[in-house]
Parts: sequence; C-alpha cells; structure tokens
Amino acid sequence: MVLGMLAIEVRDLVKVYSGGVVALNGVNLDVEEGVSHAILGPNGAGKTTLIRIITTQIKPTKGSVKVFGFDVVSQGSSVRGFIGYVPQEMSLWTELTGYENALIYAKIYGVESSRRAEVIEDVLEFMGLKEAEKRLVKTYSGGMIRRLEIAIALMCRPKLLILDEPTIGLDPRARMLVWERLLAYKKEFGTTIFFATHYMDEADKYADKVSLIDRGRIVAEGTSSELKKIYGVDKIVLRVVGDMEKARKILSEFSFDVSINNNGEISMVVKEPTTMLPKVIEYLYSMGIAVLEARVVEASLDDVFIKLTGKGISEEEERERIKDILSTRRMIRRGG
Amino acid sequence: MLKIFESVLALVEMELRRLKHDPIEIITRAIQPILWVTVFGIVMARRVALGVQDYVSFIAPGVVFQSATFMALAYGIMMVFERESGVLKKLLSSPIPRANIVIGRSLAGAVRASTQYIIVLASAALVGAKFTSNPLLLIAGYFAVIYVCTGFTAISILAASLMKTRERFMGIVGAISMPLFFASNALYPIDIMPEALKIFALFNPLTYAVDILRKLVLYSELDIYIDLLALTIFNILSLTIAIKELNKIIE
Repeated sequence: MVLGMLAIEVRDLVKVYSGGVVALNGVNLDVEEGVSHAILGPNGAGKTTLIRIITTQIKPTKGSVKVFGFDVVSQGSSVRGFIGYVPQEMSLWTELTGYENALIYAKIYGVESSRRAEVIEDVLEFMGLKEAEKRLVKTYSGGMIRRLEIAIALMCRPKLLILDEPTIGLDPRARMLVWERLLAYKKEFGTTIFFATHYMDEADKYADKVSLIDRGRIVAEGTSSELKKIYGVDKIVLRVVGDMEKARKILSEFSFDVSINNNGEISMVVKEPTTMLPKVIEYLYSMGIAVLEARVVEASLDDVFIKLTGKGISEEEERERIKDILSTRRMIRRGG
Repeated sequence: MLKIFESVLALVEMELRRLKHDPIEIITRAIQPILWVTVFGIVMARRVALGVQDYVSFIAPGVVFQSATFMALAYGIMMVFERESGVLKKLLSSPIPRANIVIGRSLAGAVRASTQYIIVLASAALVGAKFTSNPLLLIAGYFAVIYVCTGFTAISILAASLMKTRERFMGIVGAISMPLFFASNALYPIDIMPEALKIFALFNPLTYAVDILRKLVLYSELDIYIDLLALTIFNILSLTIAIKELNKIIE
C-alpha cells in the first residue's frame, strides 16, 4: 500500500479485448502526485486503453491499477471521485450552450447548488469562454470545445486530471492556449496531470515526466532530457566544398555514424556537439576541405522513440487519423 | 437520497434543454400519429366496426403510445452517438452510480416522448374525440405516459448496448415497434383478436399502457391496478437488464 505518494500506480497490467487483441501487455507505471506526466506513443500503442482502465470504464484482464491508493476495480466509485477526465473524442452535448453543458455536468458531478453558479463562472472565465457561454456548442471551434471540456473537468477540483490526446487536431495557437491554461491551473492547485499524446513536442514541452509506450508496453521512462541523454543522439550537420566522400572518410575518425544526406549535407553523430564542432571544422580545413555551413541538431524525443522501437510515428498515418477525428467531430456537431 | 436523485434529474434537464433548442423532432414525429387519428380513425369510424362506439376516441390513447413508444425506442440512438463521441466515457468515469445513467436517460427519453400525449390528444379532440374533462385524470394520463415510456427507453438503451452501430440499432427498433403496436389493443379490442395474437397481446406491455390511458382519459375509471402492476414489472425488468448490460456498450 502506497500512502499518498503516488497518484497512479500501475502493476503488470494486461488488457486483452474480447476479440483477442492484446492492447496492454504488462504495463508498469508510477505517476507521482503533483507532476505532469505524459504517456507518449503511436496510434494503437495502448494509451487510450490504459486511460480507460485508470478512469474505471473498463476492467483489466490481469494486473492492478491504483489511484491515490484506491483500486480501480474494487473501489471504482472512490476513484471516480478524485479524477477529472477529458476523453479523446468530444464529451459535450452539441445542441446545448457552453453554459448549459457546464451546468448539467456540475449537477452530475455533485457540485453543491449554492456554489454551482460561482464554480461554473470561474472555470469558464479561466478557460476564456465567458463570452461564448451562451452559444450552442455546435458553433464552437475545436479549440473552444477542448477548453470547455477541460473547464468542465476542473469544476470539481480533481486531484488528478486525465487527458486523452488533449490537443489532437488543434492548430498550434489553440494548442498553446490549451496548455497555457492547463499549466496555470496545475501551478495554482498542485493538480496531477496525466495525459496521453502522440505529439513528441507536446510531451517534451509540457510533461515533467514521460513514459514511452509501444505495442502495449512501456519501453522507457524519465524526464524528457534524461531520455534524450540516454537514448538520443546529438548530431553535427555540415555543408562542405569539395570532395564529399573524402570528407565523410575524414569525419569517420570522429564519429561512428557519418552519413551523406540527399540534400548534400553530411551529418555525423557525436557526443558533445558544441565542443566538437570547432575541432571538426578545423580538422577538415587542415585536410583541404572548407566548411560552408555548420549546425548542431540536438536529440529529440522522436529520435529516442525511433532508437527504442525502430520506428517513428508515421506522419501519413497521423494525418489520416486526424482527418478521421475531425470528420467524426463534424458529424457529431451536425447530427448527434 | 436527494443527492443520488440529483444526477437523474440533471439528465432529464439536459433532455429538456435539448428539446428547447431543437423541438423539430416533436413536430416531425407528430405527423404520423396525427394522420392515424384524423385519417385512419375517421375512415374506420364510418364503418362503425369492431364493436366500438366512438372509434376516434377509442384509438387516440393507442396512437399516443404508438407514437410515444416509437420515440422512446428510438432514443437509444443517442447512446449510440454518445458511444462514438466521448459523452458516455465521460459519464462512466463520473462519480454518479452507473444505474443512474440508465435511469436518468430512460426518464429523459420518456419525458421527450411524452410530448406526443399532448399532440395526439389535442389533434383527436379537434376531429371530435371526447375525453374526460377532469384535469387530474388528464395529468394522471400524462404521468402514465412518462412511466410507460421509461421502460421502453430502457429497452432502447439495452438495444444500443447490444447493437452498438446505428444501422443495427435502427434495424432492431424497426423490427420491434410495429409488431408491438399491431399486437396490442391500440387499434382494436383484444376480444376480436385471433387466439394466438390474444396471448401475445397479453404479454405486450403496450396493451396495459393503452388500457391505463383509456381508463383514465376516456372512461374516467381508476381501476388500473393490474395494468400498473404489469407495467411496473415491465419497467423493473427492462431497467435492471439495461443497467446490467450497460458495460457492454463501451467494451
């Protein structure tokens, strides 16, 4: 029994769906209280399944999950009392106004009637939706819908906020706005944020800790800079005048991995690129090769992921998926 | 206790607010029952058939339920949509008991469907049907419609949990709603039915629903205990099974 320290504690979690699909295959995960923790991985890695188990929607096949020490299966209703949750899809009634959605959810979540108006006003104000509160949700933009959903999740002051792909399909400005508000809230109330994403930069920028998930298993864990230090590679990229093949050979003395890119650049993997760069340039010069252009490319979480799993998140696949989600949203806004 | 019921009422309130913003369904759903009462009813009345004196008045309660139960049975499509959107996931992870999701939505669907009571009775009255003038009985009739439709909406939610896709859901609703209507006393008294149909009609909750409403608004009778018992059994069964099967909707 862990006392108060861990917001989420996942042990040997396995989920096999009735069709035989193994969504989670032995997941272990600790989310500390008060941190922002990302679970990062490609489509189908098991992120949503993990979140659905943590939020008590579906039961694990094997293993256990505790939220603030409470078991999600046997103490589900206690767990539901702690969490605010924003699913990946839209969780609003589009034929109601923003205010009405907040009002109904306030009643469902048991916000006391004496405080209700004030709480709704506060969260709508906080998420920048006060002006749009009387408009039907079907007229909202994607970013506004997300902010309203987060506002609603914050009404009951959750100790743990769980977000499934919080900014999928949003443009960069809307994404930034969502995160700016989320982090401001976390700072004010010390809320633990656990979020799933397939955006590398989102995990990099907004998570204190990142767990990489692939094919139902956690493949690595740590702060973003730890992960990059352990698994990532920094590179020096050069453009030179003269014999590229000769340059490549010379550079091989500095690095085990030198390659010539299609665009005529030479890239080399090195440990400390900033101190290595002057030496490399000097040495090339002494061998009769002039450097036209040089830059340092630091490791990204993308590199880490590729190194660990042998693949990145296919951009094509991602675009298809966003298209799917956007069309579902449109459909919901029109009809449902 | 009040707290527990609050979430149920919140779901009903949600439905009323939806209805306020978009009342179109009530109007489109009203066209068919109005035709039943005003065209079918009047034409049939000319034959003075079926041993019924005032045929338009006789079928009005039946048509109320034909229309209201159809609306109730179709309500589950919302749950299919909400399964595809995130609303259901959100509700399932909220602190309200899962039973309340089903009870709340069943009541919400019933309230929505009960609008047909007013529309059908009003249009029947316009073409000469005679109902009780006792407002208490009329109000009791309205509550009877809500009560009955709660069970039918629960059936619809159950269908949504089991069918999961819109096409299959609509298929099953179509398959059960018309037989329910014809194999009941909505359009003709049970006495004139063939034996086999009679037995089916006796197990059909719609029979008891129509009977209650006829007694209340047509004959101003209060001898409705057997009907109430039958409908209570129906409601308890349908709600219990719908609650039990709700988990299937998201798996």
